[in-house]
Amino acid sequence: MACDASSHPHCLELFEKLSEYIDDELAPAERREIEAHVAGCVACLACLQTLRRTVALCRTGADHPVPEEFSRRLRSALAAPPRGPA
Amino acid sequence: MAESHPPNRPAIHDSDTELIQAINSGREDLFPELVRRYEQRLYTFGRRMCGNPADAEDLVQETFLNVLRYLKDFRYETKFKNWLYRVAASTCLKQRRKSKFAPERQESLETLEPEAAAVAADSVPKWVQMPLEKLLNEELAQTLQHAIHSLPEAYRLVVVLRDMEGFSTEEAARILTISDANVKVRLHRARLFLREKLKGYFDHGL
Repeated sequence: MACDASSHPHCLELFEKLSEYIDDELAPAERREIEAHVAGCVACLACLQTLRRTVALCRTGADHPVPEEFSRRLRSALAAPPRGPA
Repeated sequence: MAESHPPNRPAIHDSDTELIQAINSGREDLFPELVRRYEQRLYTFGRRMCGNPADAEDLVQETFLNVLRYLKDFRYETKFKNWLYRVAASTCLKQRRKSKFAPERQESLETLEPEAAAVAADSVPKWVQMPLEKLLNEELAQTLQHAIHSLPEAYRLVVVLRDMEGFSTEEAARILTISDANVKVRLHRARLFLREKLKGYFDHGL
């Protein structure tokens, strides 16, 4: 079964809660409601899975190494900070 | 930069407390240790928030200068790290207005109204079913970084703090001085925006 969240109010209502579901910030009853719904709605399951994958990709970001030249300049600037208001 | 929390909040003791107390007691010579502890994290935050390395460097330097100015106002009512990010976020918003690299126009999130974003799919796409490590490459990282930089700052700050820097909803709300509900709304909108960009990338690549 496929449904269209743009035309099904219940899908749209649950769609708004998908981030909170992914973050485990929903009450148990709301979690169960979403789980029961996506078990029978491919469109909402696809929404949930693509959103979850987006979050997972964001979390894979690596550190950007600090350039040594900048690190030296930073320490010099902090050793003699500019005077006056910020 | 003084903290504005409810009165009588118990003081928080964390791994930075003794160092900050020492600096605030006159040991300004220990400030470089604080820089050493947070320079890497702040620079990465700067690169995630700013579109180019020069702006990220300005953000780090201006943030540490502001910490130097306002550290005496720190009341130990939150983790120092969270207070530092509050200074950094505030500095970031001010700095962006001055940056010659900042784009004149950012994408609108109006297209992220749920009705627009909740386009029906008849199957779960391939890029969701593949192992995460098989998707990761430099081109994808750049696509994601570009998409993040296209977000308006208010949304970018939330998604960077929550999904990249690892802060909780409550911590992000305190750092940005907005409500938890506001963090959640912005985060959901930002994630939908990023998801659309990733869908576009994968639709052409897989």
